[in-house]
Amino acid sequence: MEPKNWVGKPLPRKEENRLLRGRGKFADDIKMREMLYLRFVRSPYAHARLLHLKLSSAEALSGVICTLSGREIEPLTQPFIEIGPEPCAKIRDYPLAIDKVRYQGEPVAAIVAESPQIADDAAELVEVEYDPLEPVLDAEQALSDGSILHESAGTNRVWNGIFEYGDLESAFRDAAYVVTIDRMHFHRFSSTPLENNVVIAQWDSKDDHLYYSCNNSFPSFAIQFLAAHLQLHIDKIRVQTADIGGSFGIKITNYPQMAVCALASKKAGGRPIKWVETRSEHMTSSAHGNERTFRDTRVALDKDGVITAISSRHIDDCGAYPRYEPLGCVIWSQVLPGVYRVKNLRIDFTQAVTNKCPVGPNRGYSRMQHLWFLERVTDICAHQLGIAPDQMRLRNYIRPEEFPYTTPNGCVYDSGNYPRMLALAKDLLDWDSWTKKRHEARSQGRWVGMGVGTTLDSGTNNFGQSQIVNPDAPFSGNSQGANCKLDIYGEVVVAVGSCPQGQGHETTAAQVVADVLNISPELVSVRTGFDTERNVHTGFSGTYASQFAVSGLSAVHGAAQKLRAEMRRLAAFVLKTNEDDVEFGAGPQGPELRAKSTGQAISYWGLANIVNVNSALLPPELHDITLNCRFVWRAPFKVPDKQKKFGNLTLTYAAQLHAAVVEIERDTFVPRILAYVAVDDCGMVINPPIVEGQVYGATAHGIGAALMENCVYDAAGNMLTSTFSDYTPITALNMPRIQYGHIETPSPHSYSGAKGMGEGGAAPLHTISAALQDALSGEGIVIADSFNNGDTLFRAIVGKQIYQAAHIVSLERRS
Amino acid sequence: MFPPAFNYHRAKSLKEAASMLAQAGQEAKLLAGGQSLIPLMKLRFASPKHLVDLNFIPRLSYIKKYKDELHFGALTRHSEIENSATAAAVPILHDCAAGIADVQIRNRGTLGGSLAEADPSGDWAVVLSTLETSLSCVGQKGERRIPLHDFITDAYTTVLAPDEVVREISVKIPPQGSGGAYLAFKRAAPVYPTASVAVQVTLEGDVCQEVAIRMGCVGLTPIRASQAEGVLRGASLGEKAIEIAAEAARSEADPQPDMRGSAEYKRMLVGVLMKRATYAAVRRARGERVDVSHLYA
Repeated sequence: MEPKNWVGKPLPRKEENRLLRGRGKFADDIKMREMLYLRFVRSPYAHARLLHLKLSSAEALSGVICTLSGREIEPLTQPFIEIGPEPCAKIRDYPLAIDKVRYQGEPVAAIVAESPQIADDAAELVEVEYDPLEPVLDAEQALSDGSILHESAGTNRVWNGIFEYGDLESAFRDAAYVVTIDRMHFHRFSSTPLENNVVIAQWDSKDDHLYYSCNNSFPSFAIQFLAAHLQLHIDKIRVQTADIGGSFGIKITNYPQMAVCALASKKAGGRPIKWVETRSEHMTSSAHGNERTFRDTRVALDKDGVITAISSRHIDDCGAYPRYEPLGCVIWSQVLPGVYRVKNLRIDFTQAVTNKCPVGPNRGYSRMQHLWFLERVTDICAHQLGIAPDQMRLRNYIRPEEFPYTTPNGCVYDSGNYPRMLALAKDLLDWDSWTKKRHEARSQGRWVGMGVGTTLDSGTNNFGQSQIVNPDAPFSGNSQGANCKLDIYGEVVVAVGSCPQGQGHETTAAQVVADVLNISPELVSVRTGFDTERNVHTGFSGTYASQFAVSGLSAVHGAAQKLRAEMRRLAAFVLKTNEDDVEFGAGPQGPELRAKSTGQAISYWGLANIVNVNSALLPPELHDITLNCRFVWRAPFKVPDKQKKFGNLTLTYAAQLHAAVVEIERDTFVPRILAYVAVDDCGMVINPPIVEGQVYGATAHGIGAALMENCVYDAAGNMLTSTFSDYTPITALNMPRIQYGHIETPSPHSYSGAKGMGEGGAAPLHTISAALQDALSGEGIVIADSFNNGDTLFRAIVGKQIYQAAHIVSLERRS
Repeated sequence: MFPPAFNYHRAKSLKEAASMLAQAGQEAKLLAGGQSLIPLMKLRFASPKHLVDLNFIPRLSYIKKYKDELHFGALTRHSEIENSATAAAVPILHDCAAGIADVQIRNRGTLGGSLAEADPSGDWAVVLSTLETSLSCVGQKGERRIPLHDFITDAYTTVLAPDEVVREISVKIPPQGSGGAYLAFKRAAPVYPTASVAVQVTLEGDVCQEVAIRMGCVGLTPIRASQAEGVLRGASLGEKAIEIAAEAARSEADPQPDMRGSAEYKRMLVGVLMKRATYAAVRRARGERVDVSHLYA
């Protein structure tokens, strides 16, 4: 039988039947015997001393089993691991507040009851006395340490480091133009997965075994934090996930709630505890994306508008507790120069805590803020110099022949072709005809602008970059595990340490194995979700950071190849031939291995039978064959140079290039998208509809973030966007038609040429900002914030309160 | 989250509802469409001890024309008005009904409930106060008819006695030569407007004989744009007059900054909405068929 290439085919998703018929199994679908329900009591204050907590009335309510407070769990646990060095390391992070609350919505107590209704009623009976403190809501203001969140750390500064490469002094000395930009700001938004956080925990008192059924999206990271916090042997913690209704990274940091559920189960005598987050809880107190302010930016350019140096000061706001931070303080440097050739860069990077919801990795995590910054810089310089924005990009893009391209900080961009993406995007948009239409529209006094945004989705990260933020961090490299076996009746079964949330892992893993064994993907059964007890995971297992196509499928591929080699050896023995004579194919009874010379064949069942239940047939020299093959794929990384902050931080660099035409209505100032193109390059595509779906999803996420979604706090630290009617997440009704295009530049770093993808959510932010800039340059406006709605633009154009070019940007001509 | 436990009473008649209310006192709330009350209860912002359900009272949902009036049963759903040929005689009613939130909410939410809730961002009170509207309300002591302009006194506050229930809403059909339009600015379909304006004009030739302008979401109750009305009344409705009236309406609004927008932006939107609504109202007054749609961000 001729081998078929399933990889690359638009195979319908194996998950579809289950998910589209409403037959998925999500954490909240799971019911356990004697299950109890947990409800958090949360702080109404953003910053306050916790003077007194009285739980007795709540405990007295019929149906309440127990309560938990921060004071009660403090002696039972260790504070959560802090990834950063001092002062960050001195922060004491517990899952329930002990003597202070630091953001509105921070849990101060937990109620455990026989039903969620009783838990809700009991929560109302908890009496808490607070002494309000001055809230700190702006990261720059936080750095003045006027009001300190974590007294143990003594400062609101979490981390600071200077990333300097090349020779800035010469670059600025020789520059033909120097552009300065006073301040820009990347706003706080989040993901709104359809499924909120859910945890079921059971602490078995007989053997101190802790079981979780939950939707954490990076369980191997969570168990490292939980084992240290709960002082449990890590092998005693079992985490299972089933179907997950989206994470976008936000569900990586639900381990504090996992800890509380575990402690509650222990206190409740081992009964299982379920916590289901409400939407308002999710909005106020799960995790938001990082907010970032860019200060004192200076850009050197040569006479042709080629950027030769960028110097800037970045202040990142991580909310009340660092948690996954300060990893974001280095992760942005995976894309230090963005898609541009600039060699001389100096970024002074600081992160601060504020009295807002803690941040968590949010689709495009840390890179998108930086890439938006670089795109604004490039775009603003183009407008200052009077260079067409598309030409400006072409002059500055890394050239196709330069790949693999080593960035000034040692990252290796595996492959790419940005000019080709731009050409395709312009073609799909019909750039030239829009240029004419824009000209006509402007002559009628309309504000029409065209914008391009180029972004990178760096995937499969080198955890060695953690050592750049903390030289003592015990992490480097990256890996993923998978298992491929023939079960007793010959079924092909695959397990992988990923934790899918709608990315179609069951389908793409089956495609890979089908190609290795030359069978139909229908015959490959892929385990759903994650389970520590499958024993396939590594310390990096989970689903995050755009890597399944590389780390996950490489692990699956490796495991399938091991299985294939064992099957071939065993078949050669059974069929009394040599291994080269054995071919994989299908016979009348299904898949089989055949001796080409004799035509004799053995089915998968036959092979599995010998190994599993007929082992007396197996000679000693074949006793190493198990047909149950675990493979760990390791990314080829080195530990970066911590001093120089130099090294390869990510394996693959998918790219997205979006182009849009936007019009700002003259009377309402509402920006309207007139045309939109999304061009994607994630290397060789494993399954085109899955990739296309993720492009649409990420684009919607980004358009929502650019125009509709903004986490707003008032001056007292009250979150004003705690419901969907306030936050207005984007829906299908708000989406423009997206023209999709793609190119494939194969990655040399993955066996299939694929790159990780799914985080292209930043591209619309860049693109819409650029299009607005193009539309409004004539008004003396600089788009200096990533969030723009009618109100913003009205205050800029009419109110002249914000975005005034004269106050923000200056251009120095040296020629 | 779940609401705290409450007592549920199913009224079989308005009289019974009134006596249930009287018995339960301040702790009772009426359940009509539940599109505001239930979410508030779920978030525990409202925790009534008693709910008196009106949904099983017969003959409380209807749209009838009688002489020069339209009569709406208090329990008439927004979607029923949206799809009613009878109500279509007054286009501004269709503008309002069709633009409320989404299909699910329009299928449940009621006209009587919307007026009695008196939310400063509600749509119906803005629209109906440009027309001659009154509410027939039933209490233990009997029935009385209250003009809409006397009905809502403050945000979330009406003159309804604790035992009173709205039975019917009566709207006088505007005369020939009158036309109205209602426009709101909304950040997304299922959310309350950021600002809204209802305009009803009566023309004689090109001259405005009568005009009513109300603004929503920019004050504690629907605000009457009296100065703007003064500009238009007796004037010929050209671009200039409408522009001056819009400027007057902007100054008469009293917006507060919130999640939906800054005060300046809302004030500006009032002018835009007023102009657009007036143009549509004028064309309708001239007998043209004009479809309007809310403005979405």
